[in-house]
Amino acid sequence: MVINMAKINFEKKRIKWKLILIGLFVILIFTIIFATMIGTMGPLGQGKPEKIPMQSVLDILSGKAKLWPDVYKTIILDIRLSRILLAVLVGCALAVSGTTMQGLFKNPMADPFIIGLAAGAAVGASVSILLGMSISVSIYSTPFFASIGAMLTVFAVYVIAKSGGKVKVETLLLTGIAVGSFLTAVMSFMMYMAGQQFRFLFFWLLGGLYGASWEVIAIAFPLIILGTIIVQLFARDLNAIVLGEEPATHLGINVETVKKILLIFSSLVAGVAVAFSGIIGFVGLIIPHMMRILVGPDHRILLPASALAGGIFLVWADTIARTVLSPTEIPVGIITALCGAPFFVYLLQKSKKGRL
Amino acid sequence: MLLRIDNIDFSYQSSKILDSVTFEVKSGEFLGIMGPNGSGKTTLLRCISNVLSPQIGTVLIDGKNIQKLSKREIARNIGVVPQTSAIDFAFTVSELVLMGRTPYMERFKSETTHDFEIAEEAMRLTNTLRLAEKTFDELSGGEKQRVIIARALAQESKILLLDEPTVHLDISSQFEILKLIKNLSKQKEIVVIAVFHDLNLAAQYSDKLILLDNGKIVSMGLPDEVLTPENIQKTYHMDAIVKRHPITNTPYVTPCLFTEHDEKGKGVTVHVICGGGSGGDIMGFLLDKGFGVTTGVLNVLDSDFETAKNLKIPVVGELPFSQITNDSHKANIELIKEAKFVIITDFQIGYGNLKNIEAAEIALDSKTPVVIIDSTPISQKDFIQGNLEKYFNQLREKGAIFVENTKEALETILKEVSV
Repeated sequence: MVINMAKINFEKKRIKWKLILIGLFVILIFTIIFATMIGTMGPLGQGKPEKIPMQSVLDILSGKAKLWPDVYKTIILDIRLSRILLAVLVGCALAVSGTTMQGLFKNPMADPFIIGLAAGAAVGASVSILLGMSISVSIYSTPFFASIGAMLTVFAVYVIAKSGGKVKVETLLLTGIAVGSFLTAVMSFMMYMAGQQFRFLFFWLLGGLYGASWEVIAIAFPLIILGTIIVQLFARDLNAIVLGEEPATHLGINVETVKKILLIFSSLVAGVAVAFSGIIGFVGLIIPHMMRILVGPDHRILLPASALAGGIFLVWADTIARTVLSPTEIPVGIITALCGAPFFVYLLQKSKKGRL
Repeated sequence: MLLRIDNIDFSYQSSKILDSVTFEVKSGEFLGIMGPNGSGKTTLLRCISNVLSPQIGTVLIDGKNIQKLSKREIARNIGVVPQTSAIDFAFTVSELVLMGRTPYMERFKSETTHDFEIAEEAMRLTNTLRLAEKTFDELSGGEKQRVIIARALAQESKILLLDEPTVHLDISSQFEILKLIKNLSKQKEIVVIAVFHDLNLAAQYSDKLILLDNGKIVSMGLPDEVLTPENIQKTYHMDAIVKRHPITNTPYVTPCLFTEHDEKGKGVTVHVICGGGSGGDIMGFLLDKGFGVTTGVLNVLDSDFETAKNLKIPVVGELPFSQITNDSHKANIELIKEAKFVIITDFQIGYGNLKNIEAAEIALDSKTPVVIIDSTPISQKDFIQGNLEKYFNQLREKGAIFVENTKEALETILKEVSV
């Protein structure tokens, strides 16, 4: 009986993968519970004008809200928990999209916005804000316009980059950069013309989760989860594509189809995230790298690990954003970059080969 | 297993890259494809792997049209090894080899024990087991190629396509990789098709060769039949000498690319008296300068004889290990009469070839200048019991010019010609 080392090593790796996923999931749950306790009325925090007892948070979260005043329930569930869950969803979406884009483009600098998605969303959002629709028509105007802008941009980039029924990733990347720069210029012009709306627009561009509500979650949750699951189904194909498009073809992968599916769904999840939270940078760039150091490059584990870690990271970043200068709020994009960048540099230094 | 390429044409826009290419390869056969840059070698390989679709003609695997197969089915039949592989993410060797199982795995399933066994066997055959947990970028060029070959083997494909698999490797890794592929083709009865730039590697490892030029097959068959100076001239537009590899006895191509080809020699004929490999360089230089060259008498096993034949120089030959006969001697004198100069190179003289020195004397008698390259001490090339000095003195008296080396000899003659 020959001992199959490859199999034994792989089974060891499988166990490690499971432990990491369970670990990340537990951290996520604790993060959510802990974050709901932090804020203006506590229990962790200033506790003004009144301090919410710790026990009430646990009771409300476990469905025993009747024991406590309604205002507690509103603060804990409707204000805080909905925002935290949106942070989880957005963090997950950005990380999954970033991981997918880095794999597709075989480029560690790729992030969810690499093909101009953010610039497109920003132009869409600017239009709605400049037309004054964000307040007068519906609170969903800005998300709606932002997602339309994002979708149109990704579609345009894809169509421009396409030649002879195929889309080369290099062309896609460069087209994305070109279209993105063009749209950024359009948006800058709009900001210049924005006048009184400037501050609102600027705030939106830096990203924030203040728009959270259960209705928002009801829209974002199915879309982001659907996109994440579909991308996950193509994890092994993505592993092959990382080797190069021709090698992937030689392994029996239908590269053009897989590329299209992955582009559509990773853009979808990123588009939904951007629509409700503005442009939150850095999550989609660093979370995949951090997870690659932790679990390796296999997308079957890398994608779910990144999804969980993205959620955890953004909840913490948002908690800092809403509390550190309380009662004012800092755009969360500032926090993700401020915390993320140094930590990323630290990881780069620490990873033994100096590469990711 | 039989791979048949049936009359394929491939064009990019209006330019035809492949033109009516037809051939067959059987299990266990190693086919080498050669040709100058742009001759269509890589395009042909990509048509076979179905990355490109030929406009006309078909690729048939056991009679089945490859275009009718799904991508997964093709991947189960054909493995591809590119020139180099860059893998930006830190996959380990065993993960990469396991990816070879991709065409067999269902979307919702994970690797089975069977998959691990196949992968392990592929790593054992390619001697990459000990590298299993290393990442790809930690490996040397040769190790990387072995891992990629292991991945192709894990695909259990019966056809292996290699696009210049050793072009970026050092010389020992080149042989190691090709030996591995050759062994695999026999051991696992795989069809191997490899594109080569190096004609000698191609000759040494291929069972059959195809020489492509401008998308057409110029020659196809055994290495001996394909690698001829005529075919090389036709496709690469280059003169070459085809000898034999001293150990493997396969054809061995030496290009003769002269650097300063000119016509200073004005077609003047020079007769070279040489032997034991001492005349090869001067014959080459003389041709390069536009001289006509003849030589003799040489034993047919002498390397100078072979060089003369390869350079298409008229030569008087003698049976191996025999003394120069009177007939040969006369023929040699006839050649010398046609020549305007005679050169004697620096070689050993015994009773067997002494007649060549006498022939030089006859040349001097009829006022044909003789240049003698004389750098080796006379005692070391004298195999006629110390009498060579006497012969040389006689030549000197009759006006032979003694020089130190080939270059000087060439300059002496060029000076005479230009006057």
